[in-house]
Amino acid sequence: MGLHTTKNAARAAILLGLVLATGAARAAKTTADAVFNMPEGVTPTSHDVYSVHMMVGWVCFWIGVVVFGVMIVALFRFRKSRGAQAAQFHDSTFLEIAWTIVPVIILVAMAIPAAKTLVRMSDASDPEMSIKITGYQWKWQYDYLQDGFSFFSMLAASSDQASQLHSGIDPASVPNYLREVDHPLVVPTGEKIRLLITSDDVIHSWWMPDFGGKTDANPGFVNMTWIKVEEPGVYRGACAELCGRWHGFMPIVVVAKSPADYQAWVKAVKAANGKYVSPYDGSLEDVGSPVVFETTNYNGMMGTPTGAAVPTGSPVNPPVAASPNAGAVGQAENTNPKAAAPAAAAAPAKWDMQTAMAKGKQVYAQNCAACHMPDGSGNTEIGAPAFKASAIANGPVAAHIERVLKGKGAMPAWGNMLNDADIAAVITFERNSFGNHKGDVVQPSDVAAAR
Amino acid sequence: MSAVTLDHDNHGEHHPSGLWRWVTTTNHKDIGTLYLLFSLLMFFIGGSFAMVIRAELFKPGMQFVDPVMFNQLTTMHALVMIFGAIMPAFVGLANWMIPIMIGAPDMALPRMNNWSFWILPFAFTLLLGTLLMPGGGPAGGWTMYPPLMLQTGTAFPFVIFAVHMMGISSVMGAINIVVTILNLRAPKMTLLKMPLFVWSWFITAYLLIAVMPVLAGAVTMLLTDKYFGTSFFSAAGGGDPVMYQHIFWFFGHPEVYIMILPAFGIVSEIIPTFSRKPLFGYESMVYAVASIAFLSFIVWAHHMFTVGMPLAGELFFMFTTMLIAVPTGVKVFNWTATLWRGSISFETPMLFALAFLFLFTIGGFSGVMCAMVPADFQYQDSYFVVAHFHYVLVTGAAFAIMGAVYYWLPKWTGHMYNEKLGKLHFWCSTIFVNVLFFPQHFLGLAGMPRRIPDYPVQFTDLNMLSSIGGFLFGASQLLFLWVVISTIRGGAKAPAKPWDGAKGLEWHLPSPPPHHSWTTPPDAEVWTHPYRD
Repeated sequence: MGLHTTKNAARAAILLGLVLATGAARAAKTTADAVFNMPEGVTPTSHDVYSVHMMVGWVCFWIGVVVFGVMIVALFRFRKSRGAQAAQFHDSTFLEIAWTIVPVIILVAMAIPAAKTLVRMSDASDPEMSIKITGYQWKWQYDYLQDGFSFFSMLAASSDQASQLHSGIDPASVPNYLREVDHPLVVPTGEKIRLLITSDDVIHSWWMPDFGGKTDANPGFVNMTWIKVEEPGVYRGACAELCGRWHGFMPIVVVAKSPADYQAWVKAVKAANGKYVSPYDGSLEDVGSPVVFETTNYNGMMGTPTGAAVPTGSPVNPPVAASPNAGAVGQAENTNPKAAAPAAAAAPAKWDMQTAMAKGKQVYAQNCAACHMPDGSGNTEIGAPAFKASAIANGPVAAHIERVLKGKGAMPAWGNMLNDADIAAVITFERNSFGNHKGDVVQPSDVAAAR
Repeated sequence: MSAVTLDHDNHGEHHPSGLWRWVTTTNHKDIGTLYLLFSLLMFFIGGSFAMVIRAELFKPGMQFVDPVMFNQLTTMHALVMIFGAIMPAFVGLANWMIPIMIGAPDMALPRMNNWSFWILPFAFTLLLGTLLMPGGGPAGGWTMYPPLMLQTGTAFPFVIFAVHMMGISSVMGAINIVVTILNLRAPKMTLLKMPLFVWSWFITAYLLIAVMPVLAGAVTMLLTDKYFGTSFFSAAGGGDPVMYQHIFWFFGHPEVYIMILPAFGIVSEIIPTFSRKPLFGYESMVYAVASIAFLSFIVWAHHMFTVGMPLAGELFFMFTTMLIAVPTGVKVFNWTATLWRGSISFETPMLFALAFLFLFTIGGFSGVMCAMVPADFQYQDSYFVVAHFHYVLVTGAAFAIMGAVYYWLPKWTGHMYNEKLGKLHFWCSTIFVNVLFFPQHFLGLAGMPRRIPDYPVQFTDLNMLSSIGGFLFGASQLLFLWVVISTIRGGAKAPAKPWDGAKGLEWHLPSPPPHHSWTTPPDAEVWTHPYRD
């Protein structure tokens, strides 16, 4: 019978091992095909993390086989129904010391490689370039500090539509459902890139499993991490820290290109009049937020001392690229001075009521409805008033433009995030919907003038 | 029940009857019963939230609730389960069993005992009521991190006040337990002769007294940040949102052990009984609980490895966290040694204790994995962590509580429960809880963040499996409800000592025990050591 129970224990262990081994065998290179296990990823950090994970996983597995094995043997051999008589021993100093010391040795053996890995990971010194990543409810802003431009990256419209309650759209029919954005972050391969991560509102966390982990985005503080992507490809991650209503809907997409292709993309962006250039096919984006250029020269930041967190002591300002009109100044490579004004980018010079309302409705749904509600009824609890009978929406248009551009309290300053045409359209929409009938059509030029 | 009635008649005391009896009671057994029934109710309320969560996560796309409602449900599920189900269940067990196990007539501070219970229904009415308020209930997670928590609507101050009330209730309950244990032990029962359930609660009570005020402080700072212009957690005014996390987890980590140490105590009672063998390594078990309690104060930042800590901080918290595996391992090894060469039988309480032994250990393994900072950069805020803490809290804490209920239900009610149904409940729970939570390890490793109402299609299969496990685990608990209610209402008469291998003072009183449990302290001859003859 003793033999039999040992066999049972062995069988259970083999079964468990098979389950784990299937997971390991299916070990995926990237999240795209990860089902059971952590992806190995494509950065030096992600390889290190993966090997620490597998090491500690297997150590736990074998300890489990031994400990559970002993328990299972005891439960079979010492059953009362088999007539087992209970012994009455109740202490053994030798055993107590043994099973204190042996785990300590195992833990030290695991702690050493983990600590070494951690030290390696935390060395963000001597990067070849820096990108500032700012979390917003509910999108990411990527700021190319050396090249002096930034853009917002939010959930792709196809996923957005399918993820609405009772949308009737099968998520499986949407390519990369909840893993696609309008403007992916584009990075060169083979270069050490420092990521400076912060937030404009609540805490977010920038998680890219293929790069080996996540870093929290804390408002008012800048966290630092680094990546060095080894091979070109499209990598997908998501916000990992609960950040409110659309937390599950702010994915991260990074497109890694060879340094030459990357440089070509940067050049194309700089020549694109504030339009985003698709990293997939080089086409120009007609909708969505613009690429904004800025004057600040961040090259001096390259020598910033390393450290995990750099408290600034003051809130990080909303996107540095504030004034579009100043954009072109100091951008030697920027041949087109108009690139500074996102207004000119995608929109007609003049809106008529019908097209402005249609566009405005779309902009409203994407940007405003989360707080002001899809029916414009507002949510006073979070400081988002209703539009019906609102003094702003029914008052002078200048005040309305001012509020949208500059924000107030919980209302963000949309001037940095939307172009003039979109702002004009959404204001027209707000003044002529939800029971308001002002009848005026706001023009992109009005917005540009108010900036 | 006639024994009880007879007993108070003999004392010639006047006791109100009906509902008023329960409102005014100062009897430790009545209050224990109230705590346990309250916790059972909260278990089903928190569980129903979990059912909606698992239904929404059954397949990708939004089917039932909007994301804000989903966030409210995850937040409320945690608050209700932690503060409403697990903690009151342990306090209820302490109220019922500690006086009986140490030979006391009642708790030391009976009126405070009454008050500490009766705060809870008000606290939870307030908390659950926020779901109906404009803007909805709290949706920022049970950890209530600012700045997100500050975006809560009308519900905000009500949630804070409810948390304050729960804290006051816990601290009063804990003080009562400490005072009872220190003052009302039977003659010659030295501290190192107390049963392990009493020991584990003794240490837990100190943890509660130490950390509940820290939570109260943290949420009060949230309150003043929102309404009184302070900037504790806002960088704009010189504060730091991460400071909240440090303060919260200085409470939060000991809180985790508040929810597991009494479970250790319960398992240490059940395993020797059904192995018919003394608990192995009694003293090292006590020291292990004490070391875990001490370590719980110096590991808090392992909940926030990705927050941007200096390297030295990450290393320190990694090493201290790994150290916890040592005393926890000692406990698991001692339980295993207790089983070894015993004479083991598998009644329902023993089945739950054994499931605890296996499944809590799995939660311990994933805990060691999470302690490894580099790997935690991937695990943090993913479903791997969700799987980890549910193994510790459901198959750990909740399974121990269910084991304790089956173990002592004959003592409390004077009736035997239906063993067949008890075993059915056990097997359903144990199988389905693994179907529910084991796949979540894989989901987290493959990249699924926690607290999301919708997910990419690659996670569909494992989520469906997990949801099916969830529904069946939830349904299995109705069986538990049925067994408990039917045992209260009747059943075979339970002897004073229904378990032949049981040791300890509680088995020297009739089932159910008389109104004032031990009116005279038990003789030292009745017992020598909690686990030995």
